[in-house]
Amino acid sequence: MHRLPASLKLGVALALIVGTVLAPPSWTAWFAGVAAVLALAIWFSRIPLLFLAKRLLLLSPFVLGAALVNAFGPAGGARWILLAARSALCLLAVILVSNTTPMSQILRVLQRVRVPALLITTIALMHRYIFVLADEAERMRRARLSRTFQRAGRPGWQMLATVVGQLFIRASERAERIYDAMCARGWK
Amino acid sequence: MSAAIEITNLYYRYHDGTVALAGVSLRVAPGECVGLLGPNGSGKSTLLLHLNGILPEKPGGPGAVKIMGETVNKQNLEKIRRQVGLVFQDPDDQLFCPLAAEDVAFGPRQLGLSEAEVAGRVRGALAQVGLAGFGRRATHHLSHGEKRRLCLAGVLACDPEILALDEPTSDLDPRGRREFKALLRTIPATKLMATHDLELVVEMCPRSVILDHGVIVADGPTRDLLNNEELMLAHGLERPHILRHPHPHGP
Amino acid sequence: MHIPDGFIDGKTALAAAAISVAGVGVALRQVKRELPPRKTPLLGLAAAFLFAAQMVNFPVAGGTSGHLVGGALVAALLGPSAAVVVVTTVLIVQCFLFADGGLTALGANIFNMAIVNSVAGYAIYRAVCRVLPGVSGRVTAIAFAGWCATVLAAVCCAGELAFSGTVAWSAAFPAMAGTHILIGIGEGLISALVFLAIERTRPDMIAGTVGPDQPQRWGELVRYGLLVSLGVAIFVAPFACPWPDGLEHVAASLGFKHKAAPPLLPAPAPDYHFPGIHSAVGATAIAGAAGALIVFALALLLGRLLAPDRARGTSAGLEDA
Repeated sequence: MHRLPASLKLGVALALIVGTVLAPPSWTAWFAGVAAVLALAIWFSRIPLLFLAKRLLLLSPFVLGAALVNAFGPAGGARWILLAARSALCLLAVILVSNTTPMSQILRVLQRVRVPALLITTIALMHRYIFVLADEAERMRRARLSRTFQRAGRPGWQMLATVVGQLFIRASERAERIYDAMCARGWK
Repeated sequence: MSAAIEITNLYYRYHDGTVALAGVSLRVAPGECVGLLGPNGSGKSTLLLHLNGILPEKPGGPGAVKIMGETVNKQNLEKIRRQVGLVFQDPDDQLFCPLAAEDVAFGPRQLGLSEAEVAGRVRGALAQVGLAGFGRRATHHLSHGEKRRLCLAGVLACDPEILALDEPTSDLDPRGRREFKALLRTIPATKLMATHDLELVVEMCPRSVILDHGVIVADGPTRDLLNNEELMLAHGLERPHILRHPHPHGP
Repeated sequence: MHIPDGFIDGKTALAAAAISVAGVGVALRQVKRELPPRKTPLLGLAAAFLFAAQMVNFPVAGGTSGHLVGGALVAALLGPSAAVVVVTTVLIVQCFLFADGGLTALGANIFNMAIVNSVAGYAIYRAVCRVLPGVSGRVTAIAFAGWCATVLAAVCCAGELAFSGTVAWSAAFPAMAGTHILIGIGEGLISALVFLAIERTRPDMIAGTVGPDQPQRWGELVRYGLLVSLGVAIFVAPFACPWPDGLEHVAASLGFKHKAAPPLLPAPAPDYHFPGIHSAVGATAIAGAAGALIVFALALLLGRLLAPDRARGTSAGLEDA
């Protein structure tokens, strides 16, 4: 599953998702079919089920909200089940693709589909530096904890905002150094 | 024989007004390995950034930098940047591509080489720094030592005549340091190393230069400079242990 | 506010995607024109920043926590087009890598959070800065802009849900607008605090957001304004205003007509009614304006509280010790 070409995985996922979103409720065969394909893919990809279950919970606010609203309505539960099923199937498809395909391959597919170069570079840089910034945020958190002497150590909003502000400044200054590094290796 | 690096009377001011370089002159012959020493804030990094034209941002200031006999100016930046490989202080600034092979390929691609040549250079450079097979690894997940070696690979892939290194061994553990040192020895390029690692300088650079407050205050054989306790202390340095007590494993 | 797949239907997804592609296209062109090459990596780094910043939890009472969304903040700091590109990048990565927000809903999410949020946030920030000087003025501006941007994005989201028939407008609008009126206060407050934190270390970054160095952005804003108006006309207006008869016929033949579904929850009308005003729309509009005025007053107070010495743009404090 991990070794399939990215364009194939993305293409199939897109087809499945679009189909699931557009399929009218009467097409139960379609939903069953998609579920079967996904189940197979899950099995081949060897992604742990618990992990998938946890990710499905990400849907909660919207699904709960829709459930609440539809509970009072005429169609009630049936409508909500359909909604939840559609969303869950699509979510599974995306999770499967994203966990079996490295970002650089996804970006190459996007490049082939003529997504503008500036956007692709921005996504690549973002992906590269998410972890660096997360590390910096973690180091700041530990530094703060080392100088917090109250028991609960619950950070005030001021302190947290300072961390966020620092992150922006550091990101900004690092961006300039990266530009220098790119120039040093011949970037025009 | 023309110098590899020839800096004449270089001045540089930051935009908040502080003077970073106040008339620096330096001549480095091809093949030399020179240590650039000085306390924090002495202008070492700023000087290195002048070698490949990143500084000054706006040309026309006093002083000149000549690389392999050619004055660095806006027109020949491409050529200069291929000739001078600059290894930055923070590997995370230099390694801006997500995958190791991509990062090493960046320089060769900018040079306009064919994909086959690029791949060859990447393989060669990774092997040269001892990271063969690391191509598909994510840069973020490498150890600090591996990152530093990868930075060097990215620079070596462009085949530079001059290597400018900014604090190459800082944050490295003893093994990482030894490996990096051994690696540097195998590279024949002219080397200018800005560093606090005085033991590295003793072991690798026959000649050293001390920069303080933007001027060169001393330039001569490394051992003479570093043995001069007064000189070292006067400029925020100190006589390294390796000269006080000869290393049991040899320099 | 990331809409998952399945909550908006085909036509809504397509319409939103079309508008978003146009909007992001405008943004990319503008960024290429005005961003100095030195700052190109800043887009990617700002996106990484936004992503990291969104993970910082600001604790609220009782175990809940809020977090920064940041569209208005980034727009104030980098300009509206850069912000559109940055937030779009974050949304794309969140969608593809974390399945946060559906693939078919990407167009709608980009419209709400990258375009409406950033552009409205920027416009309001600049407008308020024109009127209120100094650091405290900027703080007020970003706080109010953050709130407005959040609420406006939420309204568009409600519109998209209603247009798709997933949730009726009479339920979606109060739910989304109501919750985000509160969430927006958190956003405004956090944005203000972050702004101040940046100002303490790098006052040049804040000072540079307004003033002679900033390019004139009228053309840019007009283009975005048109796109946003188009989106609002499709997704929100049908519910908010009765259509003129002629348009209704056209819409019906194109299949775009939507009758507002009968309210599924008891109408919140009493809260939205002012004595003497009988139109529900008019009442909502007036209530909305009144709410905005109240929030603006709060933002003004915040500005004065947080930056008292700096009302005139001078900075005093520990740094001068």
